[in-house]
Amino acid sequence: MALIELKNIHKHFLMGEENIHALNSINISINEGELTSIVGTSGSGKSTLMNIIGLLDLPSEGQYFLDGKNTTEMSDDDLSKYRNQKIGFVFQSFNLLPKSSALKNVEMPMQYASAYNKNLTDSMIRKMSLETLDKVGLSSRVHHLPNELSGGQRQRVAIARALVNNPKILLADEPTGALDSKTSEEILTLFHELNSQGVTVIIVTHDNKIAHRCRRVLSMSDGIMQDLDGIKI
Amino acid sequence: MIFRKILVNSAEAIVENKLRSALTMLGMIIGVMAVILLVSVGTGAKRYITSEFESLGTNVILVQPGKTDKKNSMGPPVASSKGKLTIADVEALQKNAQSLAAVSGVMFGAGVVKNDLATNNINILGSNDQFNRIFNMTIIEGNYFSKEDEESGRRVAVLGHTIKENLFGSSNALGKLVKINESEHRVIGIIKPTGDKLGFNVDDMVFIPTKSSLRLFNTDKLFGIRASAKSRSGIDDAVAELTAVLKERHNGEEDFTIITQVTMVESMNTILNMLTYALGAIAFISMLVGGIGIMNIMLVSVTERTREIGIRRAVGARRSDILKQFMIEAVVISVSGGLLGIFISMAITYTLYFFLPGFDMRPPFWILPPSFFLSFFTGVIFGVWPARKAAHIQTIDALRYE
Ligand SMILES: Nc1ncnc2c1ncn2[C@@H]1O[C@H](COP(=O)(O)OP(=O)(O)OP(=O)(O)O)[C@@H](O)[C@H]1O
Ligand SMILES: [Mg+2]
Repeated sequence: MALIELKNIHKHFLMGEENIHALNSINISINEGELTSIVGTSGSGKSTLMNIIGLLDLPSEGQYFLDGKNTTEMSDDDLSKYRNQKIGFVFQSFNLLPKSSALKNVEMPMQYASAYNKNLTDSMIRKMSLETLDKVGLSSRVHHLPNELSGGQRQRVAIARALVNNPKILLADEPTGALDSKTSEEILTLFHELNSQGVTVIIVTHDNKIAHRCRRVLSMSDGIMQDLDGIKI
Repeated sequence: MIFRKILVNSAEAIVENKLRSALTMLGMIIGVMAVILLVSVGTGAKRYITSEFESLGTNVILVQPGKTDKKNSMGPPVASSKGKLTIADVEALQKNAQSLAAVSGVMFGAGVVKNDLATNNINILGSNDQFNRIFNMTIIEGNYFSKEDEESGRRVAVLGHTIKENLFGSSNALGKLVKINESEHRVIGIIKPTGDKLGFNVDDMVFIPTKSSLRLFNTDKLFGIRASAKSRSGIDDAVAELTAVLKERHNGEEDFTIITQVTMVESMNTILNMLTYALGAIAFISMLVGGIGIMNIMLVSVTERTREIGIRRAVGARRSDILKQFMIEAVVISVSGGLLGIFISMAITYTLYFFLPGFDMRPPFWILPPSFFLSFFTGVIFGVWPARKAAHIQTIDALRYE
């Protein structure tokens, strides 16, 4: 069974009188270990889809199976648990806590994870967070606040935060949108490395170069998905 | 996330927003201080007044003309026109009430005393030869009235110490004449400087025999009767006997009111308890205001930190984790405010007591646990709503929040 399985997913937004159909009958399945990119014009529904895959939002219609479980029937607490344990989300705007150091930001998901793993001690959390920061190349910046870091460094902190609980899935919604091309390249290399270690990666991007480097490309337009598997763009 | 970690997080959040936390705490500090200080004022006043009454002597009995319904009266009974106490009543008590050590009628009025040198506005108190024994008054020069002075209504006077000083300075006053409301009286005694006793300054008073005072005020109706029981334990018997004697003389009607130290302290306590409760209510309101302050700030904080809530939810915080975080933050703020309030009010009252021992407003210790718990529960009660609001923000909306 696929790791991610979307069946007839719809998403509507009611804006006053108008009903915006942001996702229209999306059906995809993504297997464990895949490296997928989602491309499409602005407003085509890429972020909406990612938020649903990342369990940050719920579909208006349809079913979403994650790791064999129907997430559309889960309680809010279970959704929180899945976000914590199975998914790492990287945002375009980083979404770091501005008043907490890089280390504190990375420790946060593990602190919530201690609800499920009673053996997690403070020192283990500290150790694993430092290791993860080291993995993204930030071991010399652990006590800096986000506003004391460059954009690329902030995104690395965010990636470390997404990775610290060893998720199966890494979701990145335009992770390099705010970064220059060199830094973008580095971040992308990091994603490739993670993918080769077995993490399932999905990247939303406007950048065709990035899309080209992914094995599978999904294209969105007006809420409808087209699988460009194998098709060169 | 486990409780201790949330506690640490809350403490960090409070430190990160120092000014705002301090201002919120201030509301709590003031609330708790109001509770403690106002209750202290209440109990301090009670302590003072009770000791004042106790200094009067425990076997004093006061009889006032007229009957007031005891249940409805909170203060000392007020004389009504019904019922009349006379010199004959006093004489009957002296003759028949064996359990009384001393009995005196009293007459009371304002007046003027003067001699060649000075004129003084004074309170005149008419009493008989037994009066000084009832109230333990010490005569430093001359004597109090004799039985003959009283019985023949002689124009003699005993002066309070200040009056004596005003009229005669340091020279001898005994045997000299003074004019009390234009009627000449001979000074036969001076009272030791005493100060306040039962609300009157003894030093500013002039004492004359009851009969003389009735003549002076042109009445036969006494202001009241003062008596003392032979012993402290005999006070109930004395009251019973006194009641029986007077009732018999008044055609079986109890048209007078008896006040003892016990009833006085009781009725004063009722008033003072009311005062304490009233102050407590005011304090409670300031606590409420402090609580609303906390709620207000927490609501602002929730709105301000919407994005933080979104981020925490996105990485796996459950609703209950967010709820706990904001609840604990509110409680930590209110409890630290409460503890500071307790500490500051103790510091203030103990410092005052140290420098002015007469000004004892030290809070009773029983108030400390309630004020602590009050601040705790204020935090809980006023923290719930903002925390629930925080917990129920949708993750995706919180992440989008600008
Ligand atoms: N919360 C919302 N309320 C109303 N409409 C929304 C909401 N979120 C998204 N939409 C609408 O849904 C559609 C898809 O938006 P989405 O953010 O998914 O686009 P996108 O493909 O990520 O675009 P971009 O490349 O610019 O990020 C848009 O028309 C947008 O206006
Ligand atoms: Mg988008």
